[in-house]
Amino acid sequence: MSTTSPDRILRELARVWTTLAEEGGVRGEGVLRSCTMTLLVLADETDDPSPIWETLAALMPQHPSRAILVRFRAGGTGDTQARVFAQCWLPTGRGRRICCEQIEITASDAGLPDLPALVLPLAAPDLPVLLWCRSPRIFQAPELRLLAEGARKIIVDTAALGSAPGSLQALLERRNELPVADLAWTRLTRWRALVSQAFDDPGNRERLSAASEVRVSYTGDAPPPEAFYMAAWLLDGVRRAGGDAHHTFEAAAGVPPGVRSVALRGDGLDVAVGLSTRGCADVRAGDAAQRTAIARLPEHALLAEEVRIPGRDPVFDRILPSAARLGVSSAS
Amino acid sequence: MENPFQDPLRFGRRLPPCAIVILGATGDLSRRKLVPALYRLFVDRQLPSGFAILGTARLATNDDGFRETMREALARFSEDTPPDDSMWRAFAQGMFYLSGDMHDPEFYTRMAARLEEIATVRQTAGNVLFYLSTSPEHYETAAQGIGAAGMNHGSGWRRIVVEKPFGRDLASARRLSASLQEIFPEAAIYRIDHYLGKETVQNILAFRFGNGTFEPLWNRRYVEHVQITAAESIGVEGRGAYYDQYGALRDMIQNHLLQVMATVAMEPSSTFRAEAVRDERAKLLRSIRILQPEEVPDNSVAGQYGPARIGGEDVPGYRQERGVDAQSCTETYAALTLFAENWRWAGVPFYLRTGKRMPRQVTEIAIQYRSAPLAIFNGEETSPNLLVLRIQPEPGISLKFLSKRPGTGMMLRPVSMDFNYGSSFGERSPAAYETLLLDALEGDATLYSRQDMVEASWAVVEPVRQGWDAAALTFPNYSAGSWGPAAADAMLARRGHAWRRP
Repeated sequence: MSTTSPDRILRELARVWTTLAEEGGVRGEGVLRSCTMTLLVLADETDDPSPIWETLAALMPQHPSRAILVRFRAGGTGDTQARVFAQCWLPTGRGRRICCEQIEITASDAGLPDLPALVLPLAAPDLPVLLWCRSPRIFQAPELRLLAEGARKIIVDTAALGSAPGSLQALLERRNELPVADLAWTRLTRWRALVSQAFDDPGNRERLSAASEVRVSYTGDAPPPEAFYMAAWLLDGVRRAGGDAHHTFEAAAGVPPGVRSVALRGDGLDVAVGLSTRGCADVRAGDAAQRTAIARLPEHALLAEEVRIPGRDPVFDRILPSAARLGVSSAS
Repeated sequence: MENPFQDPLRFGRRLPPCAIVILGATGDLSRRKLVPALYRLFVDRQLPSGFAILGTARLATNDDGFRETMREALARFSEDTPPDDSMWRAFAQGMFYLSGDMHDPEFYTRMAARLEEIATVRQTAGNVLFYLSTSPEHYETAAQGIGAAGMNHGSGWRRIVVEKPFGRDLASARRLSASLQEIFPEAAIYRIDHYLGKETVQNILAFRFGNGTFEPLWNRRYVEHVQITAAESIGVEGRGAYYDQYGALRDMIQNHLLQVMATVAMEPSSTFRAEAVRDERAKLLRSIRILQPEEVPDNSVAGQYGPARIGGEDVPGYRQERGVDAQSCTETYAALTLFAENWRWAGVPFYLRTGKRMPRQVTEIAIQYRSAPLAIFNGEETSPNLLVLRIQPEPGISLKFLSKRPGTGMMLRPVSMDFNYGSSFGERSPAAYETLLLDALEGDATLYSRQDMVEASWAVVEPVRQGWDAAALTFPNYSAGSWGPAAADAMLARRGHAWRRP
């Protein structure tokens, strides 16, 4: 089917609802439409859409939304195509099905300038729009700004956008136009919470200004964005406590790429968090040691965390420039 | 200096390091609710790293034995978080046990010493939450033991959580409170009413005070009456001996249903701080008109279920239940008509009912609006608007209104607009005990009862209790599996109303 005007796509959507209601009516169940936002996803055509829809399906029960996936063909021309469908689930095993609207649009890069006129009217009225950009190519395109018009923020994953220093720098530039969020930063929330907990202790807090070394060990060929973020955040904390520390990145064995352990050391200060057995981390603060949960979150859980934060995140905004600087200095 | 690593936007609630001492740790409440709730909070990474549980009870066992018992309990009673090996090991590292007799002063001395050890090993910063998970008759002994051993104060904060019932009547509630207040200041006493921890009870506040649409319709001008129902399909389920001492009025209405009524009918508080919200709840409870002895028969109904055959099975009557006196006159059903005497609600009846062995389990609040002042459509169905706040089992909100029936002519029919809490938000709702434990650890008493609220509630139910005690009640007066005694229908019929069939 080729439905390339907003009106035609919205008519198709209405027909999907009528069909669902008829099916539900036959079973005596009915169907409930649920929508709290529009989630616009930009991806390359080579990016397999199945896992993307799976991620969105997992996100829907928490954050029901009208999801619009735009898949871009690199180069060339060609028709812009669209299809619509609904993602439904049966809550608590009974009652009415809950459904969310999904629209998939395929377009060529050449059609990018025309896309805002097609895509923006499809946003669910009166509800926030979030943009999740998975495509490194589109992320660099000037037209992204037009597609993001009215969006609350752009979510990316710098760990998937190319080299860490380059991605962080590009994200920093985008931040001047729009609020941005990075799933690489989101992955660190639990790590940061564990480090922070160690400094709820007044003794550790007093010793923080004496920190002289921040050490971040990572898995992967080169420090991933998470490592730069973590080091930048720890250095920022030390500076805010009135200290000054140097940082070290250390490669460690293991997969997948990411942070493996972090440590803050100095005169009388020794705080460390490191992965241990599956799903757990060892936290050490001086003589005290704990083992605690630190699951690696799936993509939909990371997205869910970002969706929960409306607009800018002041801590991330403060750390991003420092992380980008660390990336540049590590590359040079 | 503040912690420079704090990130309130991301980290959520930050709990201080602390130890929880559960007195009566091998009992039902601990196994079914407390430990599963704490484990879930651990899995959800909501507990601080400096955290410990010290379980205490008479049972002679050690740390490992206690951990094993609790692991078995978790596997059996956790609704959605069975123990995972590595997660459980990490959680269990913070669990300790001390056996002893609650009436032995030496037991509390040992408890204090053990707590000190734990504070060092687990870095709990001297903060302690005592949880009385014992029979109510031990509350005063336990609190005094804690005080005598000096555990009611220390290097960190000290709090105590008390489960209902808070006394058997107004006088005993006051005695209990005075006894607890000798040891702990009122601000450190957390009287738990798990109904207030339910997500949908909290959502009543969000619904009323977060939206501009409904609150203007929330008063005597538009509301005809309000029904609050808490029905259970089960009987006393092994709690016969306890239940026979208390009955439905004391077990449900004095605490849960009056708290729900207060939440539904209270004025908006100026802030969402604990004292402001509790002040408004207390004010509403105090505004409930106390029934005079001669008003009790027309405005209250007591019932007790008799045997019945349900779904091909014989169901025993209350008097045939284990642990229940064969001549028991304890009510398993209670219904009241109450009025809040304030400008908002004057003249609007609040009907409260609760019962065991009802046709189904349901807790809900139904707000029935006045009918349209004029019927202009021929053949119109008479069906006043109804707003139903469902608390369990399927939490949500429904609004019933009339709509035109499709086709020619102007025929109306009632339709229901539904909001289903569980499906509109697919996120798991925390269990009531998770919410309330977190609140107590954080020092947030918003969802806990305060002594003046407890006393106001007792003042409401006490005349009813006295009226029933003086009357010659003929029990059983309803069959298991029915919606209660006929007298309860008659009580509403006197004002031209009828119970809703949930």
